[in-house]
Amino acid sequence: YDGPVPGCHLYPFNVTIRSDRRGTCRGTHLVHACVGYCESSAFPSRYSVLAASNFTHNITSTSRCCTISKEAKVKVRLDCPRGRRHDDIEILTATECRCDMCRKSRY
Amino acid sequence: ADPRARVAPVVDLRRFVGCAVREFTFLARKPGCGALHITTDACWGRCETWEKPVVEPPFVEVHQRVCTYNETRTARVRLPGCSPGVEPTYSYPVARSCHCGVCLTSTTECLTSA
Repeated sequence: YDGPVPGCHLYPFNVTIRSDRRGTCRGTHLVHACVGYCESSAFPSRYSVLAASNFTHNITSTSRCCTISKEAKVKVRLDCPRGRRHDDIEILTATECRCDMCRKSRY
Repeated sequence: ADPRARVAPVVDLRRFVGCAVREFTFLARKPGCGALHITTDACWGRCETWEKPVVEPPFVEVHQRVCTYNETRTARVRLPGCSPGVEPTYSYPVARSCHCGVCLTSTTECLTSA
């Protein structure tokens, strides 16, 4: 292991689902997130950007972020005590990752 | 990592992870004056970002930080050949240090590309 590497990659983790707050029925499943290091930079704004922002945006930042480009649904079976049954719960897992647009509303 | 770290010429940029001060050349220009090439300190790098599926809405948790200015100072130059009555001073930010942070829309034009 050489430390973090550039790019955007699948990252496995376990998700545990509980049927209620007490966790009467529960199930665990291995799913994937997308984690990585994509390029970004910040530099002095062009005059047109300065003028359009009333001279407040003197920095311009361009960025890409590690995003889920393809996902799949997986069914998680919940185990309950004393032979009771609970419907399967569907959750998402990433199947492909890509350095792509940052979701502006969230960053 | 040291936020004042600079991208040294010996660093392999294809493998660099983190956010550092890097030399940047741009053309300073404004209406009524001539243009001037300026080399200054700006920010460049690769910050950790992720998207993770979660059970509850909105079903995906997002962590997005970008390489941007941490501490700045303002530099001023005199543009050449300005018309009479045009203020020749051109101001621009110089990065003292850079960091992986939120893109602040109050001071920054935040652009993102596919």
